[in-house]
Amino acid sequence: MRRSFVPLAFAAVSVLLLMVAMMMFMSTPVLAQENPTATPIVAEAGTGAIQLRYWNGLTGSDGVTMNEMVAKFAEENPEVSIRVESMAWATYFDKLLTSLVAGDPPELFLLHHQEIPQFARLGVLGATDDMFDYAGGPLPAADFAEPIFSATVYNGVRYGVVIDNHGWGLWVNNDLFEAAGLDPSVRPANAEEYIRYATLLTLDANGKHPNEEGFDPENVVQWGACISWLKPTFLSTLWQFGGDIVSEDGKTATINSEAGHKALQFLYDLIYVHHVAPPPAGFDSWQTFAANKLAMIPEGTWFRNFVTLDNPDLNWTAHGLPQWGDVRPATWVSSHVLYWPASLSGEKLEWARKLAIYLSEQGLYWATSGQVPGRLSQRAELDPEVFPSNIAIGRAFEEYGVPELASPYSTELVAAFEPEIDAALNNLKTIDQALNDANDRIQAILDRGG
Amino acid sequence: MQKVATGPTLQGRIGQFQFTLRRQEAVTGFLFILPFVAFFVIFRVWPAIQAILMSFRQWEVLMPEHPYIGLNNFRELMNDDLWWLSLRNTSLFAVLTVIGNTLISLAAALVVIQPIRFQTLYRVVFYAPVLLSVSSVCVIWSWILNKEFGVLNYFLSKFGIAPVPWTADPNIVIPSLSLVTIWWGFGFPMLVFMAGLQAIPEHLYEAAKIDGANAWQRFRFVTLPLLRPTILFVTVTQFIAHLQVFGQSFIITGGGPGRSSYTVIMHLYYTAWRFYRMGYGAAMAVALGIVMIVLTLIQFRFFGRREEE
Repeated sequence: MRRSFVPLAFAAVSVLLLMVAMMMFMSTPVLAQENPTATPIVAEAGTGAIQLRYWNGLTGSDGVTMNEMVAKFAEENPEVSIRVESMAWATYFDKLLTSLVAGDPPELFLLHHQEIPQFARLGVLGATDDMFDYAGGPLPAADFAEPIFSATVYNGVRYGVVIDNHGWGLWVNNDLFEAAGLDPSVRPANAEEYIRYATLLTLDANGKHPNEEGFDPENVVQWGACISWLKPTFLSTLWQFGGDIVSEDGKTATINSEAGHKALQFLYDLIYVHHVAPPPAGFDSWQTFAANKLAMIPEGTWFRNFVTLDNPDLNWTAHGLPQWGDVRPATWVSSHVLYWPASLSGEKLEWARKLAIYLSEQGLYWATSGQVPGRLSQRAELDPEVFPSNIAIGRAFEEYGVPELASPYSTELVAAFEPEIDAALNNLKTIDQALNDANDRIQAILDRGG
Repeated sequence: MQKVATGPTLQGRIGQFQFTLRRQEAVTGFLFILPFVAFFVIFRVWPAIQAILMSFRQWEVLMPEHPYIGLNNFRELMNDDLWWLSLRNTSLFAVLTVIGNTLISLAAALVVIQPIRFQTLYRVVFYAPVLLSVSSVCVIWSWILNKEFGVLNYFLSKFGIAPVPWTADPNIVIPSLSLVTIWWGFGFPMLVFMAGLQAIPEHLYEAAKIDGANAWQRFRFVTLPLLRPTILFVTVTQFIAHLQVFGQSFIITGGGPGRSSYTVIMHLYYTAWRFYRMGYGAAMAVALGIVMIVLTLIQFRFFGRREEE
């Protein structure tokens, strides 16, 4: 009888061992493995005993630049080692959120200024006032460029250390401009001129321009303009016409104002009235620009790497965004800001602060990624031969840059209006309908937030 | 001579021995499935219960309080036009994909089960896309479907066909995503159909031939009826899978143009993970689960009826 229990006991022990082994495997932290296999998105810098984790969403060539800067810091500070993890922004937010919930966030992480309220109201961001000279810290507050520096304050507390400003500019193809008899170094001064330029630069398969008899809008082989990323293009245009998505007190949705109608109508007319820009859905503006089939593209500062590294034969010029609206010049500007968790303390906090200061001081090196340094002294040192786009677009940020609204609901607000604008520009909704729907969605979010 | 009552005692002992053996076998069997059951409970059942409980709360990530709000999340869901829009898009996608997948995988199975040349090669080639990740499939297809530079439009242009806006036209964006998904996934149901076809006794076809049935009649009156359980399995599992479509629309179209390819799981993802409204997101998950259960019951009723009769 006792013998019959042997297979039973064997099975039970096997099952137990298997479960324990699986659990051990699952609970082993990656850092604790003897020989961790680094994926291309993970970079280890230094071998010091003090270990920091630094997460960011820099998956392009800017991530490589960032890793080089971190490696240099680790080289200069042998007591520290840094594990840099770069992941696509969508994945990044999910992972960051999960790590915060689990109480195990990275020691340093990168966000944009507009996300401060979203995280700060949850109490997970460390305050950084004491990093600046007005509170006895090492960083000179006056050296940080406006309007972004002011936008890093939420409820009277400053969060993060700004390392750059990035935002919207106009990139033009010099060859196409010259072929059309236009000077690429001269930016279109206003909406009228922008449309005139775009008309001269748009060609159908028969070589006709949109203002010529027999032009075939269904068979365009070269576009003068495009919409590009909807959020910055629409917001910049909206601000230029004197509008905004919410009222100044943040309680009322205002996207369907007269300014909103004018802004959306302007963009709509580029596509369906003037026939100088394609409907945005499915249009690959970057590849079309690289193929010399698109003359003007509103695009971000990060476009520099695409036109210099990926397509070195392209002949281009960068400008600040032109003024299309009838009220004021405006261009969308955001920033990369370094944060650490509120729960961080001790020597890890000290080293996270040191790394943030170091990265903030490397603005000139970081400028090779296309971004505009967050500090004025660094901007003044930019070589015009090497950094023409950083200088031209950076100047526009200082003169008429408008930071994206920083709100606890900033992500949700964008998700509320962007598809509506997309629907209007793809002729799926009327302008009225799209703006009213966007307004209702935004208002619902604001109402829910109290 | 005294009669020794050995019979009942021996039978009783044998019975007791068999019972003990059965019990031991049962316990051993249970222990073997214990790891699966344990992980299934920990990673499937427990989160599902938590999600149901969460759906009755105003559960925002990292907020100290998660107040109970009864059915408010479900009331909001019933008035959420994006929920209904995404459900409509998702249902259209699921119907197109399930029909396409079932027909193509059945046709492929009928072909590769025949003793043709390069039979194994065909089976491998048809199945191979299943092994790819959704990201790879979507990146490749977003290039193929590109209106200006896509290879599909390039080939169509050789026949004088104007560039088709595969992912830019609201009327064809979901069929386009469905096409991508069918290409990606028909290999698995093909395998299931192959197994189903191999289980049909050969003598039934021989009898049908003797009765004068042609190829179509043999397929219609022998193959299809006997494949009914397999078709039921394929359609039920496919519906459940495709009602959870996310990667294709998220990567290829971002839910656009407008919200023409915005799906339920995209809505859930944005709500829970981007807007941190886990309670409302959980309510969406529960509602989608109910939709799946209802659809599964309908399919069982539709395809299972003749079996019962």
